[in-house]
Amino acid sequence: MKNFNYIQPKALKEASDILKKKPGEAVLYAGGTDVLGLMKSGILTPEEVVNLKSVPDLKYIRHTQGKGLQIGALTEISEITESTLISEKYAILKQAAREVASPQLRNMATLGGNLCQRPRCWYFREDFNCLRKGGDMCYAFEGQNKYHCVTGGGPCFIVHPSDMAVALLALDARLTIYGGKKFKTVPLKDFFVLPEDDYRRENILKPGEIVTEILIPELPEGTKSGFVKFKERGVWDFAVVSVGAVIRKDGDKVSHGKLSFGGVAPIPWMEEELNKKLQDLALNEESFTQLAQGILKKAEVLSKNAYKIPLLRNITKRILLELTA
Amino acid sequence: MSRKIVKSRYFGDEGLIETVSEVPAEKHKAWGPDAELKVVGKPVSRLDGYEKVTGKAVFTFDVDLPRMTYARILRSAVPHAKIKNIDTSEAEDLPGVLKVLTYKNCPKIPWHWNTTVLFDERVRYQGDEVACVAAESEAVAEEALRLIRVDYEVLPFVTDPAEAMKSSSAKVHDWGNIIDEGPAVYFRGDVEKGFGESDLTFEDTYSTQVVVHNPTEPHCSVASWEGDKLTVWDSTQALFGVRDAIAKSLSMPSSKVRVIKKYMGGGFGGKLEAGKYSVIAALISKEIGRPVRITMDRKEMNLSVGNRPDSVQRLKAGAKKDGTLLALSQYSYGNVGAYPNGADCGTPLRSLYKCPNVRTEEYSVLTNLGRSRAYRAPGHVQGTFAFESLIDDLAYKLGMDPLELRKKNFTEVDPISGRPYTSKRILEAYEQGSKAIGWLEKRKPTGSEQGRFRRGIGMASQIWWGGGGPPAYCTIKLNQDGSAHVLAGTQDLGTGTYTFLAQIASEVLEIPIDKIEVTIGDTETCPYCGLSGGSLTAPSVSPAARDAAEQMKSKLLSAGAALLETPESNLKYSSGRISRLDEPDKALSISEVIGKLHEKVLVTTGAREANPEGYEINSFGAQFAEVEVDTETGRVRVLKIVAAHDIGRVLNYKTLLNQFHGGIIQGASYALLEERVVDEYTGKVLTTNIHDYKLPTVKDTPEIELIIVSDSDPLISNTGVKGIGEPAIIPTAGAIANAVYNALGVRIKSLPITPDKVLMALSEKI
Amino acid sequence: MSKDSKNGGISRRKFLQGMGSGIIGTYVLTPAVSSATEKLTKNAEKLRLTMPLTMKVNGKQVHIQVEPRTTLAEVLREQLGLTGTKVVCNNGECGGCTVLMDQKAVYSCHILALDCSGKEITTIEGLMKADKLNPVQEAFIEHDGLQCGFCTPGQIMAAEALLLKNSRPTRDEVLEGMSGNICRCAAYPNIIESVLSAADKLRNESSSMK
Repeated sequence: MKNFNYIQPKALKEASDILKKKPGEAVLYAGGTDVLGLMKSGILTPEEVVNLKSVPDLKYIRHTQGKGLQIGALTEISEITESTLISEKYAILKQAAREVASPQLRNMATLGGNLCQRPRCWYFREDFNCLRKGGDMCYAFEGQNKYHCVTGGGPCFIVHPSDMAVALLALDARLTIYGGKKFKTVPLKDFFVLPEDDYRRENILKPGEIVTEILIPELPEGTKSGFVKFKERGVWDFAVVSVGAVIRKDGDKVSHGKLSFGGVAPIPWMEEELNKKLQDLALNEESFTQLAQGILKKAEVLSKNAYKIPLLRNITKRILLELTA
Repeated sequence: MSRKIVKSRYFGDEGLIETVSEVPAEKHKAWGPDAELKVVGKPVSRLDGYEKVTGKAVFTFDVDLPRMTYARILRSAVPHAKIKNIDTSEAEDLPGVLKVLTYKNCPKIPWHWNTTVLFDERVRYQGDEVACVAAESEAVAEEALRLIRVDYEVLPFVTDPAEAMKSSSAKVHDWGNIIDEGPAVYFRGDVEKGFGESDLTFEDTYSTQVVVHNPTEPHCSVASWEGDKLTVWDSTQALFGVRDAIAKSLSMPSSKVRVIKKYMGGGFGGKLEAGKYSVIAALISKEIGRPVRITMDRKEMNLSVGNRPDSVQRLKAGAKKDGTLLALSQYSYGNVGAYPNGADCGTPLRSLYKCPNVRTEEYSVLTNLGRSRAYRAPGHVQGTFAFESLIDDLAYKLGMDPLELRKKNFTEVDPISGRPYTSKRILEAYEQGSKAIGWLEKRKPTGSEQGRFRRGIGMASQIWWGGGGPPAYCTIKLNQDGSAHVLAGTQDLGTGTYTFLAQIASEVLEIPIDKIEVTIGDTETCPYCGLSGGSLTAPSVSPAARDAAEQMKSKLLSAGAALLETPESNLKYSSGRISRLDEPDKALSISEVIGKLHEKVLVTTGAREANPEGYEINSFGAQFAEVEVDTETGRVRVLKIVAAHDIGRVLNYKTLLNQFHGGIIQGASYALLEERVVDEYTGKVLTTNIHDYKLPTVKDTPEIELIIVSDSDPLISNTGVKGIGEPAIIPTAGAIANAVYNALGVRIKSLPITPDKVLMALSEKI
Repeated sequence: MSKDSKNGGISRRKFLQGMGSGIIGTYVLTPAVSSATEKLTKNAEKLRLTMPLTMKVNGKQVHIQVEPRTTLAEVLREQLGLTGTKVVCNNGECGGCTVLMDQKAVYSCHILALDCSGKEITTIEGLMKADKLNPVQEAFIEHDGLQCGFCTPGQIMAAEALLLKNSRPTRDEVLEGMSGNICRCAAYPNIIESVLSAADKLRNESSSMK
């Protein structure tokens, strides 16, 4: 790893200014679990490493009646797995957090960092001058693409690696972003960027912008939620596919439902039409099976990843059955 | 202590060796099945446990010498190229850089049987050695690597062995891509005639993936000179092999090279050969006059230090209606990477069952990828998966119970040589293993399971050598205070060598274990033993240790006879005391005997006796797997493995069970998880870390039940031990694959059996 | 839109032709790295830039100068001589380097030393009280929770962290707590037994103290 200046800003403004002044040369660093890997492999070679952890008051989990849950960006993933505030009301968040990496990494990694992590695509991480690193082609397209996207791809075919983002998407979460002068709030669904819009980045953050807080709206009484991640290894593996579900029932029908998917697209994925179909859906295996068959209707599979579609449909059906049982 | 030179045969690092060896003139009575032993066989805690749990154990990776420097290797970024030029000037200018070695300034030391040199101008795989930098720190060495400019003339490359076998293929070496320029062919009987006479024949192709050893401690060395004498700390499974390779490479006498390895962080076969890095470290250390530490990073571990070759195996079986095998054939090839090695895997097919007509044709194929090496039961793991899948398929076609088919073709003699085995208890393994897994009660007809989760039970058999043999020596030094020191030039890979050596000395001399010190892993202070691979260590070294201890006991008894003025036949040795049988009060302790001899230390050196003539020595076993397949996700969960094995005598049940666990879990992850993935268009490896290369975790651990069906094999040696490192892993993947077939009625013919393959196979079935 | 145009219209064939002309490269061929090397030669002295670090290691205050790029594992092993902590993957993928930071398990190979400023670090060397093994260490010997021993310090520190948080772990909780530590020898069944038995020992110790 190349040496660098280690900067300890005392306030957001200070951090933001450095990042703005030296775009590409200064990198924001929180838990560091992803940034360090990128620096060790030479994908990132910053002159300045700006340690966000030196900025106070970015680590908290709060609940305000009527407003919902606020989580500071520097909150470690392990805090989310242990918070009773979260386990009581937001099962989906706790389940997703428990699926993140390993106990040690959960002690180190932050929620903000988890949302901003770079793709795990092996062509991106290895010695390939791929599109996302400024090269001229996506090697996965005709290469080893078993773990790559089945929808939303082109010209780059990564999947977004964050488990937390999938859960938060189903919860209609919003992010607070500090831009150097003021804060703004954006829905999480507008945070991520498809490769067809810009294949060099995964989110909308401009130099100097910092995610400071994650806001999760109040869930009405009776809402159930859950997260299922399918991985090849027994534990500590990125999602082959994952599903986040938030659902409320009214009698024998769904009154509100939201599904989000991971491991299938370059961004955490949500299908509006599918979520519309959930409304008033009858609560039985047949209707769920039918609904699941409509997932990823527009998928364009690559040579080695067609299995992701039946896999995702099957685990989605299961989580719906489980949450409405 | 007299010795003789006799003919002996055993399985060594170059295969089955017929040799002459120095062995003891007389054999001690072997510890047979009814030997009453107090320490050997008991679950004694690991001698090295304390150092390992406290962090005090110094591995090669931890060796820190005054004025030590740090070396790192620059490796080829491309799969095949001629180096037009290397510019190291910027690297050399970097403060802290002490030496840069490339083909330009390094002697042309031959490597891999003269197919290349230490730094070759032609690189043949991504990861081939290009240059080495030594610097004041690891970080500076690493920075310097990035400053070396290599101008490659890229050459055409090949990564697929099937492609490499074609005459039109790019050539890895100018002489061709097939080892020995053709297949290794074996036959007995007339295989075509055998198929012709069969009531049923079955033929299919099975394939296996490349897997990588990935021991936790990287390959590493520390080299240090004192005058003309070189000491090398090396993370190796073959102390003396490394010593001689370094001496030869540097044209110096072996007596001037000392190799030390006290502890090592795993090997699994990947550390059986001397590495280029050890020689490079020695060269640089000599030049700069300071110790050099060289280690591989995890990427190098995944690119450049070995792997298990893949295989494509076209197999055919012919049998009578009653299951009697009449003919077996194998056509196979495997990818050995860029430098010579073997990818043969036909021994299980040739030797597991009785069959009169057999033909195997096997190709070891060179490609522009990292070279393969021995990996825990080389050949047998991939061969047993395929062959035992074929036998399972055949049973299904015959409408026979797969276990019955195997019993039907049991052989009492080795089908290749016709010799009997010293012992073979596979029928007991079938019997007890099948009972433990519930073969008869729980196993349902193949493909009859319905619903989302489908369970299945499968099994596979195992054969391996593992009888060990001479030469192996062990020295015991008995101190006047009654404490003892055991020395042997062998290795402990985490397998328990330290512990069983102490147990044997303790057993024979009746000295408490905590008064015994064991020194291994040093070519200068320890007598010669062979490498630690091939399940050779315990069966080779334990009899030498017993010989040394028995000699020591004889020495004490004859001294006791003189001192107590009575014939030896009137003496009793018990708990470190010698007493007269007729007058038990007349007794001497070890300390008193040694004191009266006016010696401080008594020394004996024992040797491994010859293997018996006219016999084959093999280990046998069977593993039974119960799996559950989720048909909605394709995930295979191994619920239980029952491992029933014939391994001769157990030296230490605690370390034995642990080693079986390890072999089985590695076998299960070979079946389900691990795979080196290559981008065929660029010839580069994509799984160069241990996240993309999936190693099993604590949650990938099935329930394991171990049944040892043997007690001792007194024909082999005075300890009656067979090796177990490899038997543990051999049948696991086959048993799991057959259990998956039983659960689904669909055969997954290529490893690893990953969810995508299961899902796609199920969708094709529907 | 067809796949090809989505893929920037660049075919493999074209790419491979581009490779044949002879390329200059180092181990890593990304442009990011080559520009970095240029910067490095310009700022070679910056390689040596260090900053002060104060932390507590195994109960003792440590004041040292470190290069910002230094990981905690490097400081422990190279500057403090605490080689019990092993580096296996050097990328937060295996757990061999696990230590406690303020009583929580972290990967010391994947955390900057400067991040530990003011923190309390415990390594395997800090577990023993005088000559007495910690109950987790005792259990690993008794239940043979190791083979080669290279991952063992990391396993023991992970177990220690687990038991600090949860003195009565169920088997499933042990599996979860130990899931960030790879043992290539796969001594896993004995590791599980070791941790469960250590939990029993610790409970017995604390109840006998009461």
